[in-house]
Amino acid sequence: MDYKQDFAKEVYEKVDSGAEIKVCMQCGVCASTCPLREHMKYSPRKIWTLIRAGRRQEVLTSPDIMLCTSCYTCKVRCPRGIPVIDVMHGLASYALSQGITPREETAKFGSVFWAGIYGTGRVDEAIVPIQYCLKDGLVAGLKKSLGMMDIGLSLMKAKRLKPKMFIPPNIAIPPSHKIKGIKELQRMLDKAKALGARKEG
Amino acid sequence: MAKKIAYLCKGCGLGEALDFDALTDVLGENGIKEVKDAEVLCSPEALAMIKADIDGGADKVLLGACSARVKTDEFGFDGAVIERCSLREQVVWCSPADDDTQKEDRQMLAEDYLRMSAVKLDKCEKPVPFQLEGEVAKAVLVVGGGPAGMNAALAAAEAGSQVFLVEKEAVLGGFQAKMYKLGPQTPPYRELEDTGLDALIAKINGNEAIKVFTGASVDKTEGAPGNFTVALSNGETLRAGAIIQATGWVPYDPEKLAGDLAYGSSPKIVTNVQFEQMAKEGKLAGINSIAFVQCAGSRDANHLPYCSAFCCLVSCKQSMFVKEINPEASVYVVYKDIRTPSQSEEVYREAQRQGVIFIRRDETYPTISGSDKLTLKTKDVLLGEDVSLEELDLVVLATGMKPNNPVMVEAPLVAFGEDQDAAKALAEQIKAANDDWSILNLQYRQGPNLPSLKYGMPDSHFICFPYESRRTGIYTAGTVRRPMRLTQAKDDGIGAAMKAIQAIRAAEAGCAVHPRSGDESYPEFAMQRCTQCKRCTEECPFGTINEDEKANPLPNPTRCRRCGVCMGACPERIISFKNYSVDMIGSMIKGINVPEEDEEKPRVICLACENDALPAIDMAAAKGYKWSPYVRFIPVRCLGSVNLVWIADALSSGIDGVMLFGCRRGDDYQCHFIKGSELANVRMSKVSETLTRLVLEAERVQVSEVGITDADKVAELINGFMETIENVGPNPYKGF
Ligand code: SF4
Ligand code: SF4
Ligand code: SF4
Repeated sequence: MDYKQDFAKEVYEKVDSGAEIKVCMQCGVCASTCPLREHMKYSPRKIWTLIRAGRRQEVLTSPDIMLCTSCYTCKVRCPRGIPVIDVMHGLASYALSQGITPREETAKFGSVFWAGIYGTGRVDEAIVPIQYCLKDGLVAGLKKSLGMMDIGLSLMKAKRLKPKMFIPPNIAIPPSHKIKGIKELQRMLDKAKALGARKEG
Repeated sequence: MAKKIAYLCKGCGLGEALDFDALTDVLGENGIKEVKDAEVLCSPEALAMIKADIDGGADKVLLGACSARVKTDEFGFDGAVIERCSLREQVVWCSPADDDTQKEDRQMLAEDYLRMSAVKLDKCEKPVPFQLEGEVAKAVLVVGGGPAGMNAALAAAEAGSQVFLVEKEAVLGGFQAKMYKLGPQTPPYRELEDTGLDALIAKINGNEAIKVFTGASVDKTEGAPGNFTVALSNGETLRAGAIIQATGWVPYDPEKLAGDLAYGSSPKIVTNVQFEQMAKEGKLAGINSIAFVQCAGSRDANHLPYCSAFCCLVSCKQSMFVKEINPEASVYVVYKDIRTPSQSEEVYREAQRQGVIFIRRDETYPTISGSDKLTLKTKDVLLGEDVSLEELDLVVLATGMKPNNPVMVEAPLVAFGEDQDAAKALAEQIKAANDDWSILNLQYRQGPNLPSLKYGMPDSHFICFPYESRRTGIYTAGTVRRPMRLTQAKDDGIGAAMKAIQAIRAAEAGCAVHPRSGDESYPEFAMQRCTQCKRCTEECPFGTINEDEKANPLPNPTRCRRCGVCMGACPERIISFKNYSVDMIGSMIKGINVPEEDEEKPRVICLACENDALPAIDMAAAKGYKWSPYVRFIPVRCLGSVNLVWIADALSSGIDGVMLFGCRRGDDYQCHFIKGSELANVRMSKVSETLTRLVLEAERVQVSEVGITDADKVAELINGFMETIENVGPNPYKGF
């Protein structure tokens, strides 16, 4: 039996902005505007169809729900006003809460990014990539950074990444300088997380 | 003796381009002795001068200036026959003038147009409006008391008309009375709404100008706009000035879906109409799972080829009926395309919000099986898989609508032509295609019903003239005219009511309705010479002409739209209008100055439909296109009004070729007079036989379709034709 409604209802109730996808009319605008479409097996439109059709496993294990770069194009263009990006992130977060990791690298990057913010109150553009690469140990990390050399060079060319960023004192090792009021920030983040968990739970 | 004055304009570059002394001489030779020119003819001073002359007794006025299609306010003088000669668009703007020869050609062009205008003015008389005998009936008769009919009745009454509303059922309401609820109609579009029927009926009953006849139908309709006599089945006889047929629709017969959608194999497979009734009777309890199948027979060449435009909306609404009782129910809509235009999109959205699942299928129908609990299997094109919906309590087939109107097709041309066997066979074929029941029982020579288009809808010109049927003064509204939803049917009724009132006013004033609104001329028959050939009665697109026992035509001028098709049809040439006649156009053609063969200046005339081709020609000129100065345009009311004798006149006076510009013909015709363009085409195919007899080449006559948007193709068409004429050589009859 296809299209059993249990999973759809689960998404409507538990996923951030999940109920908004009900009004999707399958026009495909999100799919055609998403810059990462060619890396996706399932476009946002298709994900919604899978949800309606009751394909829980396929949806929650799909790396595509973790591929979103938050460019917001889909959300701006969706003629039905669906916050596509929010639902994509909502699904990713919901999958994690269910013990599923749809896409290993994104999850890892996310945890490094999050740890940075939570621990210091800021994102350090030099620290985050280093930590992300070193997460699996030194050898694997070096391999990974070599693999990403092209991206690094392009970023340098675009002046988004500067070599001097990695030279002390521009880079603090270990990362230490915290923002003022870090405790308050952490309280805020804890609270937000608890609220989110209540919906997903 | 008429007092004629001509005015020539020197503005817009005409003054520099043309030799005005020569033009004045030409007018003088053609009976117009008084010629005045003005630097700018549309200036207040010049206009005042013309007005003073008219007040002083000038009753025929020629204006040699711009096209008659522009400056209509400035040059709209009362009290005189006005002929406008388009020296700007049809001479100066469109003819090349790079050297002396071209300038000479241009001057000759202007002179020919003035000659033609002078002849026209000479042959034109001021029309005297036709007056019906006795008092004009002003009541509006509405047949059909559904949403369109009720709203038509109310609108007409509120606009001050007496209204008769005839409904065959015992109560008013039509399909609206069979409905449970409407979908959301008002912002924020969340709730189902009441049908509003009771309030509407109360309004009708409370309006003294509306007299309602329920349980009644029309036995007989005689007469014409402004003078219909209608006998009802209940013995009443009514007089009405105009009629609105709002007889609604019938559902597509679901028995025909037994094969494709298993209709009849289980009582759990119902149509949308049956489902609505179930809802109204409160029988929707216990539905946990239900599927709607869209386009059940619609948009399918084997069933209803068209989109019924309401079933998507209805399924969205009906799925809300299910959710109203059981919000947890699984509701599926299996569709090809969801077509919910304008406000119905809101109903679609609300159904989605309530959790209805829409599944897109391909062209193949889903398979439905089971008896108590049903299974529906379909190809899901958005998922890209075959899917199966199981344990369904009900499957609703969203069937489409057919107009509640007897099919009546008209032969394009029955009486014409030598091949009487073919004509008879065609007549038989048509008879077989026509339904033998009637709604209005018209006592018209052309049959008891409104002629219908492709799908049996009694429309006449879908794009330009909504509500118009091909019987003047009889309008159609609502779902009988084309499939539509309830809110549209309401508006349709109101629109048709306004048209009906206009028709009555036109009958009173003795002028035409749309599209020649206000035209006071009408066809007059010189009966002594009539041979009872029946061509006019059969070819009139609007059923204007009845017949007596001896087959003499009996015209009903208030049914007439003044297209002139009868004039084009009549082989005896006895039909004419005060300001448009076979003689008038024939004389204009003969007025053209045809140079000797050795001058190598061919002459071509182009008979151009006033409605579409002429504006396209004007636009082409305004856009700066240039074409051969050897072509002379003659505007005609409709290509169907072209009498074959004009072609003969032209060719026998040495004109080298004849072009005819008319609207698109065929199933998706654009002709303002429905069949005019079609008729012209058939008639011209007969002309080639005649040409061959005269040892003239068939290529000398060419019919082309030129729509109002075809400005860009005018020059090419003309120049192409000029090449053809050059190839076939000069008309051997020149100089005879
Ligand atoms: S753009 Fe919006 S409505 Fe269109 S498919 Fe994507 S989510 Fe659905
Ligand atoms: S309205 Fe919808 S269901 Fe009805 S014929 Fe059109 S597309 Fe098909
Ligand atoms: S053919 Fe045209 S002009 Fe002639 S009677 Fe019919 S509507 Fe009138």
